[in-house]
Amino acid sequence: MIEISATGAVGLASGSSGTGMRRLNGLTPGVRVAFLCVLVGAACLLLAPSQAWIKTWPQALTLPATAWIGSGLTAAFEFLKPAARLAAKLLEYPMAGANRLLVGAPYALTIGVLAALGWHIGGRRMLALVLAGLGFILASGYWIASMNTLALVVVSVPLALALGGLIGVFAYEFLSFRRTVETVLDIMQTVPTFAYLTPLLLLFGFGPVVGLIASVIYAAPPMARNVLLGLQRVEPDIREAAIMNGATRIQQLVLVEIPSATQQIMVGVNQTIMAALSMVIIAAVIGGFNDIGWEVLLTMRKAAFGQSLIAGVVIVIFAVLADRMSSGLAKESKRHSWRITVAILLTGIIVAALQGSLLPAANDFAMFKGATSVIDRYLGAFTAANGALLEGIKNTTMFFVLLPLRIGLDEAVLPFTWGFQWTNGISIAVFGITSVAALVLGMRNRAVAGLSLLVATGILVTGIANLPWPFVLVALGGLGWLAGGPKLSAFAVLMVSVVLLMGLWEPALLSLYLCAASVLICVVVGGAIGLACAVSENAWRVMRPVCDFLQTIPLFVFLIPVLMFFQIGEFSAFLAICAYAIVPMIRYTQHGLTSTPEELIEAAVSSGANEWQVMREVRIPYSAPTILLGLNQTILYAFSMLVIAALIGTTDLGQQIYLALGQGDVGLGVAAGASMAILALVADRLIQGFAARQRHALGL
Amino acid sequence: MSQPSSPAAISCKGVWQVFGADAPDQLKRALAETGNDARAAARLLRERGLVPAVQDVTFDVREGEVFVIMGLSGSGKSTLIRTISRLAEGTAGSILIHGEDILTASKQRLIELRRNKLGMVFQHFGLFPHMTVADNVGFPLKMQGLNRPDRRKRAQEMLELVGLAGREDAFPRELSGGQRQRVGIARALAVNPDLLFLDEPYSALDPLIRRQLQDEFLKLQAGLQKTSVFITHDITEALKLADRIAIMRDGVVVQIGTPDEIIVNPVDDYVREFTRDVPKGRYSHVSAMMNMPETLPKMPDDPKIEEDMTIDDALASCMALYQPVPVWGRDGKMAGIVHPSQLAGALQVERT
Repeated sequence: MIEISATGAVGLASGSSGTGMRRLNGLTPGVRVAFLCVLVGAACLLLAPSQAWIKTWPQALTLPATAWIGSGLTAAFEFLKPAARLAAKLLEYPMAGANRLLVGAPYALTIGVLAALGWHIGGRRMLALVLAGLGFILASGYWIASMNTLALVVVSVPLALALGGLIGVFAYEFLSFRRTVETVLDIMQTVPTFAYLTPLLLLFGFGPVVGLIASVIYAAPPMARNVLLGLQRVEPDIREAAIMNGATRIQQLVLVEIPSATQQIMVGVNQTIMAALSMVIIAAVIGGFNDIGWEVLLTMRKAAFGQSLIAGVVIVIFAVLADRMSSGLAKESKRHSWRITVAILLTGIIVAALQGSLLPAANDFAMFKGATSVIDRYLGAFTAANGALLEGIKNTTMFFVLLPLRIGLDEAVLPFTWGFQWTNGISIAVFGITSVAALVLGMRNRAVAGLSLLVATGILVTGIANLPWPFVLVALGGLGWLAGGPKLSAFAVLMVSVVLLMGLWEPALLSLYLCAASVLICVVVGGAIGLACAVSENAWRVMRPVCDFLQTIPLFVFLIPVLMFFQIGEFSAFLAICAYAIVPMIRYTQHGLTSTPEELIEAAVSSGANEWQVMREVRIPYSAPTILLGLNQTILYAFSMLVIAALIGTTDLGQQIYLALGQGDVGLGVAAGASMAILALVADRLIQGFAARQRHALGL
Repeated sequence: MSQPSSPAAISCKGVWQVFGADAPDQLKRALAETGNDARAAARLLRERGLVPAVQDVTFDVREGEVFVIMGLSGSGKSTLIRTISRLAEGTAGSILIHGEDILTASKQRLIELRRNKLGMVFQHFGLFPHMTVADNVGFPLKMQGLNRPDRRKRAQEMLELVGLAGREDAFPRELSGGQRQRVGIARALAVNPDLLFLDEPYSALDPLIRRQLQDEFLKLQAGLQKTSVFITHDITEALKLADRIAIMRDGVVVQIGTPDEIIVNPVDDYVREFTRDVPKGRYSHVSAMMNMPETLPKMPDDPKIEEDMTIDDALASCMALYQPVPVWGRDGKMAGIVHPSQLAGALQVERT
């Protein structure tokens, strides 16, 4: 709940300044909402000991939604199954074909073809990258597993591109269809990856084909989005020129509009390839297929970290190669000499022809066998030597940050950890002091800040996982009201009520807590890094490739390093989420702070502002909408990682989804997936609302 | 100069373009309620939340003339040309192109018309970024179904015409703004259309390049004699290029006339305001000033003033004279007389 109160403070402040002119009874909407939250929160705190229903949603009012969804979907699936199984059967042919081709082909040939492609796209640098990357993969002994993964990607990408492209074009052509498509794409963005798998597993049966279909479904939306965006951005003059030259609608589309949108469409191709790869790897959790994702999972479970690190690097190489090559395609650049392309190809063919007699088989490479045991040994030695330190970091964070956020100071403060016992007296004292502070702030005309302080204290004392549901509903409703008026308010309350009714409230609050804790860290640390990067060009020069890299590697890989040092548990999950979700915060902060129009800065400087004043008075207010969007992205990133983190021991909604996958419980899987999507969607809409307000206030 | 007797190439009658929900019905109702008073109906529509961008516009464009529609941004001129070319569907009225109502033409017929009869030049050029210059110019021919070598040949001719020979294989992004618009013009002329629509073709260009392209347009037009509808917000451009000008304001055509008429007889203060800073001597002609009295006064001097001389030129040769002088027509006969002081008076900048 911290992240919401943090944005709340921003929103409340903007709300009060926006409507400060027309005060009603001397109270701005911001003050009124904050006041209402304080009232409801206080009432909940006072009544909770005597009224159990405030703390836990009554069992009697919980709908057996998971059972209903389960039986409903199962019935529907029974109906759809024959068609789905047929489709699965049909898809197995191209899959088997691609597999046989890639696994069966001599690796020298595959490397030759990819190297020639790399040269063709990006010249010497890309060629070197391809050779080094593929060489590493071959040497690691994961060649066959990698080809199994690649075979899935090779089949799923064209399908995803075709599907996404068609959806994009149709959405562009038919306005009525467009609204629906945009909404569905928005929702799909928030649905966690694992949530796709359970229903698909039931529908299509066990096997790699589920991974394929999941990756098509997951990878098509970016293509659809970019095709639609690209077509919408075609200049009106170009569109009208095609009409006036007598082109038919089809000719306009095929000969003019789609080619004009190529660049944006290629961005979509790049994103689709990355998404497909990421999903194929994640789909390894259903197993049954000897691919590289499975290798990581297996070695991770065996705690063979040296091995899993090597396998993780293989995945990263894959992702980097796929990303650089497909984004190289998107850029308009000179094409490189055909002769060299052909020469590289020929070399590949010749070496491949000789491979049988000269070179070892792909599986016989294991150059890193020694390396992995060395890594394992060093890791063991390191953790043994620094065990106390690592343990210390972990425990400090757990006891002093994570636990209080989760179960509240009143339960987390124990003699064993903090050195004293939290008592009711302390609670009363804390609330008393905060109230006085709030009163002082209120008298200084900063009522919103004061009331927010009270709310934040209440949340901290109670703990996010223990927040009473009436308070959460009222707070979300209030924030929705401030961010976007009655409609958004109703949306937030209704959506969250659905989670409540489905009986998934507790894991949902746990998700909220873990997400809030990581986002909090991301905001503080990421914001600071972003600020540093905005101030210093050199810092950005260092951080930029790091950000690029972190955004390229599949989610899965983040788990390896944290596991190596901190073992399975909530803390590792927390770290993995932070590592992944911090990137947008850095990027957007840097971008927002550096994209202030030169004129504004010059105006401030010529008014005599020093550097810090320019930052505080001009840059930060001006970049607020951008930074808010960064926060939004960070939250969405955190939610998507939350699900993956279920693999290493969390207790939240993500874990429910993962459990459902293991048990084939489609009802629970869908309900938990929907709950997760709801949380993400509500957070998304609220922050978008505040960002829009801020932009509006700035006249952007 | 246009000949009043030539038949109309384009004939607009009572054209309305109203934006908003249910516009045609709303317009009908508003007209019925106000007894067909266009201005009152437009007011009513505006009150009801619709936007009457073009209101009851009627004019003819004659064969071979350059008809300039001039107005400030938001005056409805761009909407009007889009309605005439049917890039936007008109709300009411009729638009005849060579006698054929374009507002009711079928989709198929419209495509045919555009392939063979109409050409259009756009403010931001509208060049296809993924095609070479030659492919851009050849695009309308491709739509006609011409084969590749023929397209190439014709594109080369057109590019030569606009002075871009040798740049056939360049891409639009490699050209300057002025060159891009030359490509746009070459493309519009490629199918040898009967009608040319130019939507602020030079507004995105630097003043110097703009003047150069205006001169080129006049030269081209002298040879090709295309019926052109030319949109601009620049009064000097309008005066320089137009055979006739229609001045628009808030969706209404307030005056239609030759450049001389617009300068000499502005219909209201709005039009006068436009022409206030225009060097009148350069754009108005003696013919707009001269008269033919019943009895000729004594004219001791003949500085050989001709009726289509600009006032500046005429004054240069009769500035020192104090008596009326004869004005000679193109046919060599006397067309009228004019007093030098009259000419000088016309140059006076009005004081407000």
